[in-house]
Amino acid sequence: MNFRRIISVVLLVGALSYQSVASGQTPAPAPKAPKPPAAPQVVTIIHRLNGLKMFRLLLRSEQVQSIDALDSAFNLMDDVHTNVIAGLAMDDGETIAAWLPEADVEFGPPVVAFPAAPRPPKSPRVFSLFDGPDVSVIGPDGKQLPAKYIGLDAATGLSILRLENKNVVSAGVIKDEPVNSGDSVLLFGPEPVTKTRPVLARMGAIEGRVENVMLAPSGGIARFKVSAAKLSKANIGGVAVNQAGDTIGIIDGLEGNEASILPAALIKRAAQRVLERQASVPRPWLGVKGEAVAALKLDQIQNHGWEMTRAAALVGKHRGILLTSIVPGSPAERAELRAGDVILKVDDKDIQTADEFTWWLEQAGPSSSVEFTVVRPDRPVEWALNVKLSGMLDQWSRVNWRSRFPSMKGFWLIDQGIETIALKPLVALQLGTTPGLLVVYVDPVAAAFEAGLEPGDVIQTINGKPVSAFRTTPNSDLYTFEVVRKKQKRVVKVPAKKK
Amino acid sequence: MRKTNCKLIRRELDELMLGEAWSAAATEHLRECVECREFHMQQTKLRKIVGSLGTVEAPADFDFRLRARLAKDASSAPIYWRLVRSGLVVAATMIIVATGVVVVRDAMRQGENIGEVARKPEVHQPVKPDQAPVIVTEEKKSDDVVAAVTPATIRKIRPTQADYKKRPLSSFAISSTRASVLNGAESAGVSTAFPIDSSIQSFTVSLEDGRGNAKTISVPTVSFGSQRIVQSGNQFAPKRDW
Repeated sequence: MNFRRIISVVLLVGALSYQSVASGQTPAPAPKAPKPPAAPQVVTIIHRLNGLKMFRLLLRSEQVQSIDALDSAFNLMDDVHTNVIAGLAMDDGETIAAWLPEADVEFGPPVVAFPAAPRPPKSPRVFSLFDGPDVSVIGPDGKQLPAKYIGLDAATGLSILRLENKNVVSAGVIKDEPVNSGDSVLLFGPEPVTKTRPVLARMGAIEGRVENVMLAPSGGIARFKVSAAKLSKANIGGVAVNQAGDTIGIIDGLEGNEASILPAALIKRAAQRVLERQASVPRPWLGVKGEAVAALKLDQIQNHGWEMTRAAALVGKHRGILLTSIVPGSPAERAELRAGDVILKVDDKDIQTADEFTWWLEQAGPSSSVEFTVVRPDRPVEWALNVKLSGMLDQWSRVNWRSRFPSMKGFWLIDQGIETIALKPLVALQLGTTPGLLVVYVDPVAAAFEAGLEPGDVIQTINGKPVSAFRTTPNSDLYTFEVVRKKQKRVVKVPAKKK
Repeated sequence: MRKTNCKLIRRELDELMLGEAWSAAATEHLRECVECREFHMQQTKLRKIVGSLGTVEAPADFDFRLRARLAKDASSAPIYWRLVRSGLVVAATMIIVATGVVVVRDAMRQGENIGEVARKPEVHQPVKPDQAPVIVTEEKKSDDVVAAVTPATIRKIRPTQADYKKRPLSSFAISSTRASVLNGAESAGVSTAFPIDSSIQSFTVSLEDGRGNAKTISVPTVSFGSQRIVQSGNQFAPKRDW
């Protein structure tokens, strides 16, 4: 009997020690069975960018004049980047809202008076390259759902898509009720499971807690912050869901260890704006840069022409936005606003912070008229000023281009709605063309678009002169572009833009 | 000594049939030992009572029920034997599972190694949370970069699917700060995994800003989340640009 006990003890100890050794050698514990998705309203968006779009992206984010070298196997029209993002199925059962980081690069930057309805190109030419972002939607069950990209809401940065089949995704409740500090939330977003090809992804979630709720000047929630242990940039665009499974927002940024959440009510409003127009909605644009008086020191205000006593009075009141620069040709310039002016009110609403100013302009919307209450350094009393706002689809604009590349060739092309990058000889050879300017975007409302210029064309000469030697002539009515498209030379005649 | 005799005599008496005569030694012992005499009397009395009982007919399924009862009784074996048996089962299970894990892991490592042969080492570095997903390399004037791209390295314009297969896996990169191993610990809730039909070629470009400054930018093939893949310090701050 003692012998049996000894044998049993030895066997048990052996088994346990083998188990501990074996588990020590294994890098990860045995995988737990995946839990069912707790937020079926969260879908996955796949956004693909081809080489041409990547060039345009570079053009906006880097100081780039020419391409010197490329991957040996690079092709302009092949996909070079795939972004995997969370999408939110709205409660109508067919609308998807998502924060596509590069969606704005796919559209033109209209720094023009915002029309009441989208202006279609005069010619019905089908443009396969830039007729919308290349996106697809994957449902919670991993199956692809046919969807159409409707437009970008520039005020929130949200892209709005429409599923072709209604109610194929369980639309969750989108909660408009107040979010309270201390509430537990789950932040959903796609994440990679394997790095093998094809990449396996899944919808994951991390736990967080509401830390700070910022109220909008007009009531309701403007933003709220959520802290979580494993926050990273990959969480931006994720969907925030409360413990009941109701959608409460989308992550629109990271500030330190906290995620900034765009609340559900603003998501619904953004979707409504885009769906009403069935097109992208620019954000209101005034054409100024500035800073809240409350955030400035006395000498910073004095540097903009303010006399000491009046500057001190401004600082003491903690009111207004000090304009530091005015964009030429902007609504602000047309309304005769100047650098140094302080905007105290927007439509009788006192302004204390930059966020408040942004909020009230966004509430007014693009193409709307607002009344500013303004004070000026050389004018003793405040006065009311009506300004008609314009619209801008993204942060980047031709105005920015001008300010960033003052010495760069190609101003004139930008003004014509044509964005280009110069190709060095070897790169041109690699792409099957000769050195010149690679067209990466043509504004669909520009004359060049109507004339037939396309992204992917390489401009060889303008009016018979090499692009490097070309100079604009003020009296020219027509410009002749010699371009290479698919290894074939073509001539495109573009009427000059009338000022 | 007497105790020993009592034990031996009682065993003899116990084994005797009713009415059977016992040995001379037992007779002599019973004459002297009162305790054994009483034991014998009780045993005889008990046997007579049992013998007076009538016969009992066994039910038809007695055999089946008996076997079932025996099998049940066998499962309630002594605790040490059950421990030994369960220990053996656990040990055997562990050995099977551990062997399976080792075999599967080795197979997966072999698969990874095949891919790693063609990969650049830096591609495998996980992106840290504070890292930008894009690799930007500042360079001097781009003559060297251009010189590196010789006509021999230039391939045909539109590669075929066969070209993709030949292409080294160095073009495959993922930018993500989320967990890359499914261990169930990093997420509060997960769904089933699904494949991402990602782009197949990477984007690495050398560019010049027109002032003689050159840089190389490399964009990962796949990125997760709404982070911008190409960041710029030159963009206007949206909150201060109206």
